[in-house]
Amino acid sequence: MSLISLKNIEKIYNVGGEEVRALDGINLVIQENEYLAIMGASGSGKSTLMNMIGCLDTPSSGIYSFQEEMVQNMNDAQLASIRNRKIGFVFQTFNLLPKATALHNVEIPLIYANIKRDKRIPIAAAALASVGLSDRISHKPNELSGGQRQRVAIARALVNSPSIILADEPTGNLDSKSSEEIMRLFNDLHSNGNTIILVTHEDDIASHAHRTIKLLDGKIIEDKNQKI
Amino acid sequence: MFSLFIENLRISLSSILENKIRSILTSLGIIIGVFSVTLMGTLISGLDTSFEKSMSWLGKDILYISRFEWFSDMEWWEVKNRPRIQPNYVNKIKNKSKYALAVAPVMQRGASLSFNDKNARTEIFGTNQDYMETIKTDIVEGRFFTKNEDLSGARVVVIGYGLKEAFFGDQNPIDEYIKIDNLKFKIIGVLAEQGKFLGLFSVDKQAILPFGSYKRMFSKRGWMRISVKVPEEYISEGLDEISTIMRHLRGLKPSQENDFAINQTKAFEKQYGALKIAIGGTGFFITFLSLVVGGIGIMNVMFVSVKERTREIGIRKAIGATKAMIMTQFLMEAITICFISGVIGLCLAYLFSFFINQFFPSTLPINLSIFSLFLSVIVGVISGFIPSYQAANLEPIDSLRYE
Repeated sequence: MSLISLKNIEKIYNVGGEEVRALDGINLVIQENEYLAIMGASGSGKSTLMNMIGCLDTPSSGIYSFQEEMVQNMNDAQLASIRNRKIGFVFQTFNLLPKATALHNVEIPLIYANIKRDKRIPIAAAALASVGLSDRISHKPNELSGGQRQRVAIARALVNSPSIILADEPTGNLDSKSSEEIMRLFNDLHSNGNTIILVTHEDDIASHAHRTIKLLDGKIIEDKNQKI
Repeated sequence: MFSLFIENLRISLSSILENKIRSILTSLGIIIGVFSVTLMGTLISGLDTSFEKSMSWLGKDILYISRFEWFSDMEWWEVKNRPRIQPNYVNKIKNKSKYALAVAPVMQRGASLSFNDKNARTEIFGTNQDYMETIKTDIVEGRFFTKNEDLSGARVVVIGYGLKEAFFGDQNPIDEYIKIDNLKFKIIGVLAEQGKFLGLFSVDKQAILPFGSYKRMFSKRGWMRISVKVPEEYISEGLDEISTIMRHLRGLKPSQENDFAINQTKAFEKQYGALKIAIGGTGFFITFLSLVVGGIGIMNVMFVSVKERTREIGIRKAIGATKAMIMTQFLMEAITICFISGVIGLCLAYLFSFFINQFFPSTLPINLSIFSLFLSVIVGVISGFIPSYQAANLEPIDSLRYE
């Protein structure tokens, strides 16, 4: 059983009367506990592909099955539930809520999952501890360094124990030391059985992954396994 | 769902507190709306209480014959030449009428009263022994004067409760002598306390004299009215009969209009009803207007809020918020602003009602308070709906990219 299966996925935007094929016939199967890097120049469609996989965007045509279920047939609540419980996002710009503390940021997915407060707090605190931020739980994002913010974001992505982490240029805004820390974290998560999907244009970041696909003009031009 | 509710409430409150000035300005419309609707209600309820109490003094079964209508749209020059009401009408009405149970002339003027070194300026009344039947007040001390005292023009007086308190305090005033415009009168009775008529003037400081004495000593040709008590179940028959007798006394031909008036408490009620509609209508209009303006303000601020937090909406959707959850979040923010405004408006109205209470005994009706809070929530729902709907239907990727 494949975790994610994309068949002939197309995403067509209409920009000023001109058709732009952001994704042009993507076929991709991702198994559980893969460590995948999606590479490509900007405009190659890699972010669109990631949004598609993360159920944030819908394809213009083609079939997307998530755990053998057709995503096209799902309603808003079902899609939200997948984003909440199956997939954790990590963004380049962290995308934390600026007014909320680290703990509260991590807590929000649990609120949407309707978990009671007395259960929620220990889970969120444990997630922060697992990324090494036990001593920063009541800090707000602007009181944290870039690397720490990204770790809060990772804790938030993990907190509902989703098995898939979707990371869009997770180290793009970080210095090399913080980047290394974050990548080490991803490696650990992978060895703990999570599926990691990274979007990046940096080769040394992609080198952490076990499988790399390269996109150009919305098509997969290369798909290779580096380490097995 | 409770967790989500608390979270939404937290978001709403922090958003309101973060933009204090904006929130205050936005909420003014709702505050004024709720303030005016509750204050109007308080005013009307106060008026109602005061009116009913005042009307109960007058009595529905009393006809007041005088030269002029109490409330009339006739011009002054149309009625100013009407002949006076004559004292001799009293006995004639009494003799001719089947329905009249009591007929009392009432003459009235201002006078200076004094007892030892205490002085008071007040109204004195001249009337006959039937008077007590035409008012709803009782004698609490002593007695009213008799027919003989009236006819003989005895120098006796019945005083209001307020006058008794002012002059005698706790002492017994009966058989004491007071001076009215320097003429000595013996106190024979005290009327029960009444309070203010329509909250306007006190009647507790009056002094009531026998008609004969009043006419002889104070006024031969003063303004005069006649109070006629009729059985409550025959008011309209009594009215017709008295009217016929009066026309006869006036010597009016069938073609001539009445040159006198027979007033009833009904006239007050009609007038009061009109006043109530005027207050209610004005209040309703102000309320409606300020709620509409306030609602538009809230809607505007909510649009701004949605715009400002587009990215937040994207983040929330990415981590699992459904459209319904986003919608609820923003709806709740609008409702929270409105509800808090409603509470503030209510508090202001409550404080203000103490001020009104100085004039009419009034309290803020509970039902109205609940209603006005409900109203402010409704305004929140209506004005928050479109912005919230817009927020809920933002595309997650577009809003995540929003800077």
